[in-house]
Amino acid sequence: MKLGGKSENIIIPLIAVILAFLIGGVIIAALGSNPVDAVGYLVQGAFGSKTNIGATLVKVTPLIFTGLCACFAYRCGVFNLGGEGQFIMGAVTAVWVTVSWGLEGPLACAAALLLGAVAGGIWGAIPGILKVFRGLNEMIVSIMLNYVATLFMGWVYTELLRDGSVPQTFPVPDASKLGRLMPGMRATWGLVIAVLIAAGIYYFLFNTSKGFQLRAVGLNATASRYQGFNVKRYMLFSFIVSGAIAGLGGAIELVGTQFRLMSGFALGFGFDGVAIALIAQLNPLATVLVAYFFAVLRTGATTMQVGSGVPTSVIDIIQALVIIFAVAGMAFVRLPGFKQRMLNRQRGKKEE
Amino acid sequence: MESLFTWNFASEIVLSTFRMATPLLLVALAELYSERAGLVNIGLDGIMSFGALAGFMISYLTGNPFLGILAGALGGVLVNMVYAFCTVTLCAEQTVYGMALNIFAPAISAFIYRVYFGVSSTLAQATLMKTIAIPVLKDIPFIGPLLFNQTPMVYFAYLMVPFTAVFFNRTKAGLSYKSVGEYPKAAETLGINVVRQKYVACIICGLLAGIGGAYLTTCYVNTYSDGIVAGRGFIALSAVIFGHWTGSGVLMACLLFGFCDALQLKLQIISKDTPYQLFQMIPYVCTLAALAIMGAKKAGPKAKGKPYLREER
Repeated sequence: MKLGGKSENIIIPLIAVILAFLIGGVIIAALGSNPVDAVGYLVQGAFGSKTNIGATLVKVTPLIFTGLCACFAYRCGVFNLGGEGQFIMGAVTAVWVTVSWGLEGPLACAAALLLGAVAGGIWGAIPGILKVFRGLNEMIVSIMLNYVATLFMGWVYTELLRDGSVPQTFPVPDASKLGRLMPGMRATWGLVIAVLIAAGIYYFLFNTSKGFQLRAVGLNATASRYQGFNVKRYMLFSFIVSGAIAGLGGAIELVGTQFRLMSGFALGFGFDGVAIALIAQLNPLATVLVAYFFAVLRTGATTMQVGSGVPTSVIDIIQALVIIFAVAGMAFVRLPGFKQRMLNRQRGKKEE
Repeated sequence: MESLFTWNFASEIVLSTFRMATPLLLVALAELYSERAGLVNIGLDGIMSFGALAGFMISYLTGNPFLGILAGALGGVLVNMVYAFCTVTLCAEQTVYGMALNIFAPAISAFIYRVYFGVSSTLAQATLMKTIAIPVLKDIPFIGPLLFNQTPMVYFAYLMVPFTAVFFNRTKAGLSYKSVGEYPKAAETLGINVVRQKYVACIICGLLAGIGGAYLTTCYVNTYSDGIVAGRGFIALSAVIFGHWTGSGVLMACLLFGFCDALQLKLQIISKDTPYQLFQMIPYVCTLAALAIMGAKKAGPKAKGKPYLREER
């Protein structure tokens, strides 16, 4: 294995996934179910039919957005934990645009997506501004804003745009909904947008000089400052873009999948996004794959619960274990002791 | 709105400020002990949620809330050992691991609760800890009945403040503890076992944060639900920054945030026309405003957030 090479970036997450599944299997066995059957149901639930594959693709779309949101900010060295709040603000804006502007049709849909991204960007700018100009810890600020956004959304669906007796907003009119990829499948063009944005971010980060500078700021802010990069501007920029990605995701989720805001909307998407970005080693393209993996687990878990009686929350544990093992594994191979051992082994081979 | 400034209202606010500030204080002190050894732990929410579950389960099963607190403390330590191993021994990034705890611990808590109580069970209820009045002090007019008729955990939390202040500033153990967070290299050359000290810090942090979580389910409400912690760990984290890494500062910050919480609950009852969500935002917005006004001075342990590798120069 080459030190610091790309192979460990793939091998370690894979080992982490296998380990997490083994532990998950032990838990399932401890509950008195057959782990192999449970995994069988899981696979069937995620890939068993056209509907199921479609359901997985529906679930993956918002996760790609929150994953990219966490990924982009962290590339610049700022930890945006506010993906959920930015996602929600995007969705709230989208419901406001489509329901109360009196517009209908593709134009309304486009306006909802655009303004959703703007709203997410503004919500993401707040922790960025407070970090850059007041030196505040961006993690705390972005988390606090998640709670504020969730409560604001609560106000919107219980009062401002409430539809009848149930606490939920009016639905997005049919004409303004985001189109589906193909008839009979619930996946929308939102998925295509998500993948395109992932590719765009990848291109920006790894093939443009601005992207290089942004990554440099993330790797070593002090060195970048001496190099003449405007560190503060990059941090603020990355926060705004990161928020806009999440906001767009929220808008797409609303006009493409959910159509109404109600209690529990987007719950946990922010932290899932962070987990996805970390397992993907902050690579935008890998983020798409890991998000897909998470979505497979989510859709499969429901079938698993029905089929074998294993509660879906086992999946949450497996996901959490994957991130713990993946990050621990990466840290382990970077330890000087481990590096030394690998070097010694390589040297030993040469001498032979 | 005339009733706003009556004696009754004020005393209720004071009483509930102290109650609301208690879990924050416990957890903020947990973070203080962690950061003083150079470990920034943003996983407090996760530790709290596991502590809350452990506390609830044990107090539900045994009927003894004190055992619940003990279980919460143990649970907190257990969860935080994951963090300790990965950040101290493996030198993994602290924020990443804090985040991992925030994802991991609530998942486990939710899982255990669901497996034990079933998916659609009616809410199980545990016994709440009773208040104990302190004999002489409670007779002080004005503040006596407010401050000295609380659950033992409240006393414990507030007594921890002077203890912490004395420990960090007046004892040799406390000073060498702090040196680990300021300049671990120098501490090591003076014969302090930095790695062991960091593990001790993680144990204390898990202990206090676990108690803080268990407080929610044994002294505050008698049920457990997902998301019961509601970001209190992060508010406590800001309390440490706001309180400039000192025991007394943390106390003031927690009382301020506790007051916001108490106030919003009261306002919800008084003003029914205003959407309750706006009031619920108060604690979070106040935390943000307090931090924004204060700004972040370059205070706190110098080596916080940095991994310590003995071999590294």
